[in-house]
Amino acid sequence: MRIKIIKAAVLILALVFVSRLSVFPQDQKTIVIDPGHGGLEVGAKGKFGNLEKNITLPISLKLKSIIERKLAYRVVLTRDRDVDVSLERRSAIANNNKAFVFISIHANGYPGRNAHGSETYFLNLNATDEEARRLAYVENNSTELSQVAGEHQDDIMMILWDMAQAAYLKQSSQLAELIQHELNTLLRTRNRGVKQAPFKILTGVACPAVLVEVAFISNPDEERKLLTENFQNDVAEAIYAGLAKYLERNLDR
Amino acid sequence: MDTKRLVPLVALFLLLIVLVVLFFTGGKEKRLAPDTSVAVSESGEGVIEERPTKTIVLYFLSDNDYRLHPEEREIFTDIPEVDQVKQTLEELLNGSLNDGLSPLPEETRLREIFFTPSGVVYVDFSRELYLNHMSGSAAEIATVFAIVNPLVRNFESIQRVFILVEGTERETLNGHIDLTRPLLPRFDLIVGGLLKNFPELP
Ligand SMILES: [Zn+2]
Repeated sequence: MRIKIIKAAVLILALVFVSRLSVFPQDQKTIVIDPGHGGLEVGAKGKFGNLEKNITLPISLKLKSIIERKLAYRVVLTRDRDVDVSLERRSAIANNNKAFVFISIHANGYPGRNAHGSETYFLNLNATDEEARRLAYVENNSTELSQVAGEHQDDIMMILWDMAQAAYLKQSSQLAELIQHELNTLLRTRNRGVKQAPFKILTGVACPAVLVEVAFISNPDEERKLLTENFQNDVAEAIYAGLAKYLERNLDR
Repeated sequence: MDTKRLVPLVALFLLLIVLVVLFFTGGKEKRLAPDTSVAVSESGEGVIEERPTKTIVLYFLSDNDYRLHPEEREIFTDIPEVDQVKQTLEELLNGSLNDGLSPLPEETRLREIFFTPSGVVYVDFSRELYLNHMSGSAAEIATVFAIVNPLVRNFESIQRVFILVEGTERETLNGHIDLTRPLLPRFDLIVGGLLKNFPELP
């Protein structure tokens, strides 16, 4: 009799433990970080020959480890080494992981050598007001559809999510503001404000998404800074701080 | 032959040289108006008529900001609109007449232009548009809208511009701006233009 009670208790405890284990990872939200470019696609080049793809990766890795150290979020990178990853694949990684936030990391380039500073972008639909309204409406109502698509239907999902970002522009703008504010404070750069442009990488992402241009690799001073551990850490900390504020404000979602 | 008869001949010869020199040096200063703006009529009688032109606006870049800086040009209007668009883009490819930086990479050539009834114009460039492009978001934005803005600004029949490379669609120039859709202009990028960073969101 006593043994039976003990057995039952152990069983119940085990069940509770197992269910906790399996429930916990499902509840854990995912942040997807996208180190811009990679492989043959090198991105912008500095005057000293440094490549954008080699700057975006270490900053992304630093940001990943800061988030994992300080927050209970899972972090997925779209690449963790120097390989080609198509833009569609990158947004698919975000969508297939049901990303809560998507952050693409880049280093900027511009003719001449003076352009400088950090900028945060979110998507500009490049549509008329009426088209933008319709896109947001359609995408807002298609969330159930995208969940219906099975695991082995990547193509269908990508087509469905072609303009998915239209439904998340408000949150994306808020996230961009918070990150840009931290970059301005930490790096004491001139405030450029948040910008919008029709970035291919952002259009298909079905969650709040921003693209951070940490500095200009085409500016020799900033190119030198971009190579240093210190600057890379500062940038990663600033992006983290903005992200953390965003998550705080959007906890109940 | 005595010297008295030679003087008028020498004078005439000198006058001729002065005229020849003036002919070749004059007019070179004002490159704005193309040399051929005064053309011989088709009848070939040597009658000279003015070809009709209009003023268009192109945009170049500066090393001090990331805005589009306007410059005016004259293009002929007595040719089909598709050729007027070609002239416009050729002027853009020829570069700034001030010290503006070129938004298009070196050696880029214009291949073809197609109009559609829906107000979308397809402009096809050679592969140098991305091969010689420096990449970087700011640079791609500048290149794309230095192409789109003047076409919509200067031609009433054009509402959107679809950029092609070597006759086919390209996803982006070098990883940033989406080229898979026909693009609307961004007049907020022009220097002095209304900064529209935060449009009303739906
Ligand atoms: Zn980039």
